[in-house]
Amino acid sequence: MARMKFLCDAERCIECNACVTACKNEHEVQWGVNRRRVVTINDGEPTEKSLSVACMHCTDAPCSAVCPVDCFYTTEDGVVLHNKDACIGCGYCLFACPFGAPQFPQDGAFGERGKMDKCTFCGGGPEEDNSPAERAKYGRNRLAEGKLPLCAEMCSTKALLAGDANEVADIFRERVVARGSNRGAWGQNLQFNPLGSGKG
Amino acid sequence: MPLNALAAKAIRWWLGLVVSCCALFAAAPATAADGPKASPGDAVADYWREVRQGVPGLSQVTGAERGVLINARGETWRQQRNGPLKRYGGMVLLAMLGIIVLFYLVKGPMKLSEPPTGRKIQRFTPFERFVHWGTAITFILMGLTGLAILFGRTVLGPLIGSGGLGGLLALGKLVHNYLGPVFLAFTILLIFAFLRDNVWQKCDSEWIAKAGGMFSSGGHIPSGRFNFGEKTWFWLGVTFLGLFVAGTGLLLNFPALIDRTRDLMQNLVLLHAIGAVLLLTMSFGHIYMGTVGVQGALESMKTGEVDETWAREHHELWYDDVKAGRSGRP
Repeated sequence: MARMKFLCDAERCIECNACVTACKNEHEVQWGVNRRRVVTINDGEPTEKSLSVACMHCTDAPCSAVCPVDCFYTTEDGVVLHNKDACIGCGYCLFACPFGAPQFPQDGAFGERGKMDKCTFCGGGPEEDNSPAERAKYGRNRLAEGKLPLCAEMCSTKALLAGDANEVADIFRERVVARGSNRGAWGQNLQFNPLGSGKG
Repeated sequence: MPLNALAAKAIRWWLGLVVSCCALFAAAPATAADGPKASPGDAVADYWREVRQGVPGLSQVTGAERGVLINARGETWRQQRNGPLKRYGGMVLLAMLGIIVLFYLVKGPMKLSEPPTGRKIQRFTPFERFVHWGTAITFILMGLTGLAILFGRTVLGPLIGSGGLGGLLALGKLVHNYLGPVFLAFTILLIFAFLRDNVWQKCDSEWIAKAGGMFSSGGHIPSGRFNFGEKTWFWLGVTFLGLFVAGTGLLLNFPALIDRTRDLMQNLVLLHAIGAVLLLTMSFGHIYMGTVGVQGALESMKTGEVDETWAREHHELWYDDVKAGRSGRP
């Protein structure tokens, strides 16, 4: 059984925001909600880097732990999904998420939060695969069609990788060998890696 | 009466506490972010460290904190909420319930020692009763829905499942969010309705010295319109905790109208819950004394009138004052 993972290579991301747009279009995400976003650090400086970020499908997901109605579940592929029928829109998952992934459409009086929406790894929800109900609530279920997330599929520089953790790691390992450094991956602390410190 | 001065003092006191509590919580993530410093010139390591510390970058997606890649405080918040808050909060509430049950079993309800005279005197005005019951009903609804949000998953989850919780709490959240401002309004009215009766009186020191006669047999301590126990509930419970919980709740409300950072919301949820647990714990004592704990107490708030025997046995100085034709107020 696969263990699905995203990896964004900061050496390759060119901040084109196509992953954001493709995701929004593929799943017909509600007004005001983006499941993915691109963040540029040190914009305009020599050390400028961009990263695409969405739900990282944590193994021990904080969102799931704090949900008052226990509406999250993890699939066999390690994808963290949620049940919108149970969601009450309290916002606790957003407070707990390190990546700011859960988003809320403004719904109802006094700017009340609607039901939470987040990246599904193109894996839909609890309803029958690609049923109209699932499509309306969670967007397309590409995993059920044997396809991988569209954001990574259409990434022009292949900065964003999505798929089985071993496959993703193998691809990135090839890049590390070619570059002679592991710079670029999420959270690599280059302080401890002489090859990657500040060069190239 | 220095009524205005007292009110102003109470408000300043409360605001000062809220601000210092917030400062206390705000200080925590700041110290956590001060990690080891990089060797100079190691720019790549620097920006990864900044990402970990939540320094915002630039994002085309607009909204609160969209430029922040990682907010490490979320996991700490999860540990604090699911750990100590739920564990100790639950323990405090259950312990208070246990103490009350034990007290009831050992001491039993406080009954009148002499037969009622049949002559009634007014203890509460209709306005006071309206404000009291308005606060009481909204408080109970807020308490039940709030407890369901914090403990519902643990207590009811195994029984009704995620779907059942979702249905129950969807309604619960609506009630909690919409009644919150109503509760705040009632609390403010309640404070002004009973403020001048809850000032310090000389007889209160005797009440404190004898712990309200709680552990002595038949020892009644004369008190004014309200005894020191009731005054403690008024100042610590209704005024301080009531305004604190309602105030933090108001700041948590209206999520989309004001953009607030996750750090602020995390702190507010914790402060709100801690205050609410303490307020609920105190309220158990008040509810016990006002219903089964003291014979005739519930009647007084229902009808506004008490029997003269009740007045003499529970609030002797107030009774003497009223009989002498004065207001009975301090």
